[in-house]
Amino acid sequence: MKPRASAEFWLAFFFLTFAAVLIFVWVPLDTGTGLVEKVRRKFVIGDALGPTVAAAVIAIGAVLVMMRPSEGKALTKTNLYWMLGLFALFAVSLLLMRYAGPIAASFTETGYRPLRATPPWNYIGFLIGGTVMIGGLTGLASRRLAPRDFVIGFVAALAIALLYDLPFEDLILPPNGDL
Amino acid sequence: MGVWDHVVAGFLAVLQSDPVLGIPIVLLMVLFGFLLGITVGATPGLAGPMAMAISLPILISIFGYSADALLPVLGFLIGIMKGATIGGAVPAILFNTPGTPDAFMTTLDGYPMAQKGEARRALRIAHFSSASGDTFSDIVLVVCAPFLAILVERYLDLPEKTALLILSLAFIASVIGNSVGKGIISMGLGLLAAMIATGEDFYPRLTLNQPALAEGIPIAAAILGVLILGEVFKALEDIYRGEAQAKPPEQTKVQGGAKSKDLRRLIPTIGRSAIIGTCIGALPGVGSTLAATLGYTSAKRRHTNRPDANSPAFGEGAPEGIAATEAANSSVSGANLIPVLSLGIPGNAAAVFLILAMDSIGGFNPGPSVFQLGGGINEGALNPEMVMAFGIFTTMFIANGLNWTIGGIFMRWVGVMTRIPKARLLPIVLLLTLTAIYVQETSMVAVWITLFFGFLGYVMRRIGMSPLPFVIAFILGGNLEATARQAFAATGADPFFLFNSPIAFVFMALAIGVVAFSLRKPVP
Repeated sequence: MKPRASAEFWLAFFFLTFAAVLIFVWVPLDTGTGLVEKVRRKFVIGDALGPTVAAAVIAIGAVLVMMRPSEGKALTKTNLYWMLGLFALFAVSLLLMRYAGPIAASFTETGYRPLRATPPWNYIGFLIGGTVMIGGLTGLASRRLAPRDFVIGFVAALAIALLYDLPFEDLILPPNGDL
Repeated sequence: MGVWDHVVAGFLAVLQSDPVLGIPIVLLMVLFGFLLGITVGATPGLAGPMAMAISLPILISIFGYSADALLPVLGFLIGIMKGATIGGAVPAILFNTPGTPDAFMTTLDGYPMAQKGEARRALRIAHFSSASGDTFSDIVLVVCAPFLAILVERYLDLPEKTALLILSLAFIASVIGNSVGKGIISMGLGLLAAMIATGEDFYPRLTLNQPALAEGIPIAAAILGVLILGEVFKALEDIYRGEAQAKPPEQTKVQGGAKSKDLRRLIPTIGRSAIIGTCIGALPGVGSTLAATLGYTSAKRRHTNRPDANSPAFGEGAPEGIAATEAANSSVSGANLIPVLSLGIPGNAAAVFLILAMDSIGGFNPGPSVFQLGGGINEGALNPEMVMAFGIFTTMFIANGLNWTIGGIFMRWVGVMTRIPKARLLPIVLLLTLTAIYVQETSMVAVWITLFFGFLGYVMRRIGMSPLPFVIAFILGGNLEATARQAFAATGADPFFLFNSPIAFVFMALAIGVVAFSLRKPVP
């Protein structure tokens, strides 16, 4: 099997399996009504029909990919490592965003909750998490971590925070709505 | 109340909107959107839909969810959509780097002209062609959309409307990208995502008992994730792998203006490309990049068959090459609102964000009912949706007016945007997008859901699967299911309701036909 056809075959196989799991396992176990229901002596479409049709569409697409393989683009190991790197960076920056404010406020008497709408407390998580996210992503893409990128990240995060926070009283910066 | 009353009311809704510094707010918003659009279009790596996505939550915060918010918000978004198209030509001509994908063909003749010291002439030709194509397309929109909507409303009942939605989705899945099968998988995934927690039963279906999914997938999270984050992840990886431009290229001198005689000579080329772009734009799913390619190819063929002694060959700085490309890609922007306003079907990414704005604010449901006379509270009243539609048309013509007057001057100023490195710009766009999602949903779960869809969009791009069928199916999925439920009930639970009426049967046959025909496309 040529590499192109092989990549397309496994892609189609994955989506065929996914469609089969949907139709035979997920949809029957996770919907309240069947394909068609009888309500007040009339037949109506049930909640399971829509997802089943969606799964059937996926299966038809997979069969067509098997029949007519195209350019054979596939995920490579490099792509997977890239996604892993991105995920790790997002996990770190969003955790910092979520917990930096509460950790800083834990040294006060009140804790974070009463302070979450008060500058500078409401900016702490967003600025730290945002700076790490922007600086880290720039560093990841250009293959070198430079302090300058983190400075740019801090300035950009501050500008975004002020853009949303200063003119609009009702908008809440991340993560203050969850705390 | 007749059609003319609605036209006048729509026009007045724009011109009599609340004034800011003595200028109606809708006019100001179109102006700001237009200038932002040109700036974004001139920045490689950014695109109109990205700016539309990031602006939307800010606009909603400013204007709220009332009916008065629709025209300023849509005016701003329409301004971005139109500005981005002409902005894309600037770096294409000055730096040989298309600002937007549909400006790629502009580089072929624009950059050689700039290298010959005719950058100003090339920019003027691009601007004139773009503004002409845009105006032509808007006129076609105003004429065609109401008639199409009236035809749909008069002749199509529930089964036919269901079949029409299926035909539109089949068409979009088949024509976008290089693989029909992958387009259909993308569409199926979009339909599946639309089904999560949206059934009629009390139990929220397909949620795996996760409370975070009980309200369904936030529409903005899915769309911004797949369209914006997916593209950012891919573009950053291209930089990481050294496949994207790392340093900004050298700028050529901006000199050598175009003469009126020059522009008059190009009018036939512009006219032909505008017709091609408008026809392509009216079809859902076929974007401005294809329109630009077809416009350029058609002009090139004509130029080769009838060579002009006064003009260089295509690819060596032919003004006809710039004119054909820019007229074609700009004439998509008006025509792509024909399926949006008359059928409620978004044709491309920009239209997706217009529908998202309409959906978020409420009070305007794009579709055939918009152009119904007597759609108001009684026979003599105005139909507020039709007034809104004519208000939208007015904003489009205002954007056209801005394009003709200040567009050319402003586009010469924004060449500097190409100098911003993508590796620095894209992470900022990403944080802006995530913040936009958070302020709308006020939940970190929504941010994680957006990231999930971002990774999905990235994987789709890497395996050669277009994300646009996913997004359009996600938007139309709920409507399709609701219409099918009503049609099934209205036909007395007839399982063949999609095939019993001749019109529905023809639509279904066409849906199958378009997939079968597309399968004959040569494999790249």
